[in-house]
Amino acid sequence: MRAAAPAAARATVRAAVRATLAGAVIAVAGAMALPAAGQDPPAADPSSDDPVARGAYVFAAAGCLGCHTDVKGGGTLLAGGRALETPFGTFHSPNITPHPQHGIGAWSEADFVRAFRDGRRPDGDALFPAFPYGSYTGMTERDLLDLRAYLFSLPAADTPNRPHDLDPPFGWRFLLPVWQWLYLERGPLADDPSQPPEWNRGRYLVDVLGHCGECHTPRSRLGGLDRDAHMAGNRAGPEGEAVPNISPNPERGIGAWSIGDIELFLEIGMMPDGDFAGGSMGEVITNSTSKLTAEDRRAIAVYLKSLPPQP
Amino acid sequence: MRTLTILAAAAAVCIAHAGSMAPALAADPLAQVKERETLMKKLGGGMKAVGGFVKNEGPTAADVQAAAAAITEVSTVDPRTVFPEGTAIGVGDSEAKPELWQNWTTAEGYWNDLKPAAEQLTAAAGSGDRAQVARAMQAVGKVCQTCHEDFRLKK
Repeated sequence: MRAAAPAAARATVRAAVRATLAGAVIAVAGAMALPAAGQDPPAADPSSDDPVARGAYVFAAAGCLGCHTDVKGGGTLLAGGRALETPFGTFHSPNITPHPQHGIGAWSEADFVRAFRDGRRPDGDALFPAFPYGSYTGMTERDLLDLRAYLFSLPAADTPNRPHDLDPPFGWRFLLPVWQWLYLERGPLADDPSQPPEWNRGRYLVDVLGHCGECHTPRSRLGGLDRDAHMAGNRAGPEGEAVPNISPNPERGIGAWSIGDIELFLEIGMMPDGDFAGGSMGEVITNSTSKLTAEDRRAIAVYLKSLPPQP
Repeated sequence: MRTLTILAAAAAVCIAHAGSMAPALAADPLAQVKERETLMKKLGGGMKAVGGFVKNEGPTAADVQAAAAAITEVSTVDPRTVFPEGTAIGVGDSEAKPELWQNWTTAEGYWNDLKPAAEQLTAAAGSGDRAQVARAMQAVGKVCQTCHEDFRLKK
């Protein structure tokens, strides 16, 4: 009893300090938020001086919205909860709003960069590659910090995360370092000096930000991308959809598409025969490729047309 | 017994016909899916011509006018005729998700958006101005894409 009393007193003091600090933090945050009150977030602009506006563009190009918002369930923006059905089980995307407990509000810049570059959480544990860090690892430091600035400018949501529902052994987090050793080629991705800037930009948009290969390239039985079959399509894609070959194979891929055909497709979803994309690609067009600049859509087309045709 | 069965079948056919006000409606779900495919191909063919004009790949302003007329014609078909119950995935080559009928008000709304967009395209086609046609095409395309994103299986 005698020992308990000082401990209780210490706990009370700690609680008081915590409360004071929290109050101070709220006051500071409130003061900082005031000038922005009533203003819309800046529009996505890749050439802006404002990191938040640049981050909004990275956010669109990286297609974060679709997986991290449960649009069909009427979920809060970026509060996670979307179920992603895969051959390895069902992933439930996490909350990536700046909420300090349920979101990523407590992540430092270094934490944020490490999640994308190395597939690791702030506590050091490996992340599941449903978060496509195998692609995002190639992102530039500047794009990552801009993206963080944008995400941290958005409202926090107190939606708790839902655990994944994976089939063994894919749900065993301790095996992930092995997977990373096998499949993660750590970025950032360096430009190929033998290729023009437009091609390099296209490769960055397709292979890094857009993470197109995560659906359009087939996977090994361990869930790693089969890099020899780059963009060859995937019969067992997410959500049970078969994903088409988008290499320049004239019959099975998009070899018969002109650069203009690809640009128009990425802008409004129309294929050369006048048909329109639906399902998951429809989402990608709405949330991501339709929001890119015309130059970036052209760079994507130029890069895709340069790839080796896949059978 | 046999007469009764035949009578019942005949009655069923009559009721089916009375229930559908639209003319030339096939009661066979397989045929209904085929008819939908034909309508969709007509829309797609129109959009292909408009896209060709916008990309400057051959089609003329006159082609765009014909395409706009074809798209307008399809847009006036009753959505209940285009998407009759019982023609979801599993029937023939159908790619229509069951969600289309579960969210009928939304689906019907998308279909009804087609007509004003097609009229806009007709006006733009009359002008022959490439930029105006591109904007109008985008408006029609938005309808196609939104509906496919929500209610079409893949592609």
